[in-house]
Amino acid sequence: MPGIAEERLIVAETIEDARDALRQGRAVLAGGSWVMRAPVRGQALPERLVSVGRIAALGRVEVEENGYVIGAAVTHIALTEALRGMPQLTGLVTAAATSANPAVRRVATVGGNLCCVDFAASDFAPALLACGALVYLETAQGPVTLPMTEFLARRAEVLPRALLTGVRVPRSVRASAHQRLPMRKAGDYPVAIVSMAICGGELHIAVGSVEPVARRWTALEQALDRRALDPERAGGLAETLNDFNGRDGIEADGWYRREVLPALVRRCTAALLSGESR
Amino acid sequence: MSTTFQLNGETCRFDGDPMTPLVDLLRRDRFMTGTKAVCREGFCGACTVHVEGVPVPACLRPVGLLEGLSVTTIEGASRYDAEARRLQAAFERVDVVQCGMCFPGMVMNLSQFLRENRSADRDAVKHAMVGNICRCTGYERIVDAVMECLAEAHSPGGTDV
Repeated sequence: MPGIAEERLIVAETIEDARDALRQGRAVLAGGSWVMRAPVRGQALPERLVSVGRIAALGRVEVEENGYVIGAAVTHIALTEALRGMPQLTGLVTAAATSANPAVRRVATVGGNLCCVDFAASDFAPALLACGALVYLETAQGPVTLPMTEFLARRAEVLPRALLTGVRVPRSVRASAHQRLPMRKAGDYPVAIVSMAICGGELHIAVGSVEPVARRWTALEQALDRRALDPERAGGLAETLNDFNGRDGIEADGWYRREVLPALVRRCTAALLSGESR
Repeated sequence: MSTTFQLNGETCRFDGDPMTPLVDLLRRDRFMTGTKAVCREGFCGACTVHVEGVPVPACLRPVGLLEGLSVTTIEGASRYDAEARRLQAAFERVDVVQCGMCFPGMVMNLSQFLRENRSADRDAVKHAMVGNICRCTGYERIVDAVMECLAEAHSPGGTDV
């Protein structure tokens, strides 16, 4: 019988157990929906893993005075159910409720979605970017908090030594929307995503799946007057200010991902305005 | 690492690699070939089983995460799940059957949907089937069969009465 050090998969009960296992070189297993597809991608499964799905603290959605704290092991379905009564978070709920398919949404987690460095079509990345979310990490030196933008830029370097424990969405989000373009030939992946949110007095726009990593569309944010938002005008400006370099993939060419952005901006603006008026 | 869980109501102990996908254990070790291994990516729904009563893709579930849980396959559902049996009968009555590859996954997914959505309309049924691909493209008749089950449940003598 092998000891724990040799076990291929161990199931952590606490954040500390998971953090220690990570330090010993284990890969983190959350919902498994990305890791288990490694053989299909022509990759080997990690040699040694630690499962975080049974850590109670990672499976909660908590409404606090200054924000909504979402545990890393919360599944898409659980997040949809937890936030459904909060119209200001419609963007995030749409991201959780429409990604992949119902069966995958029952197992895939928020943390897993954000930690798949090679997964460009993440729905949560643009949705959380638009909401101005913070990412909570647990490291050997203690807890670390990073803004989403910084986390996405540094995650390949940070994650081998840090456990993502959750994200915080600020209470200042007043309205949000999320539009994605799935194609049957792209499986269940969207070829382009636009997320918008009004945070405090600012309009945030984020784009996912077009480039390898989701990012804010700052040129468009600056050109749009939040008080006089209009879907047609927003779509027109999106055509003029389209500064994205679309990634080529088997499911869609880069030029196509780029070209559909103005239409998604129009739809997302309309959805945002309709949510704001409610 | 040894994993013990309930498989169709019986104790199942597995001493192999904990990262083995559940679909492989079912088909190779237990000869439960009703669960189909098709895309192995969670896209097609052909390997759907219930874990703790919830439909999930067996290709994406490592056996090592099943300790202490309850798993039901199409073989178990056909025996113990009245909703699944009703749906199977409706599939036959409405003449849905084509190649049959997607049916076990359809039954596993839609039986739970039927239990939780007694007032569903055709659109809701189609949304619930997003992750179940029928390569014979027989979707409309499958939806017909589900609608028939729903109508049956609401009729006098149906399960809702």
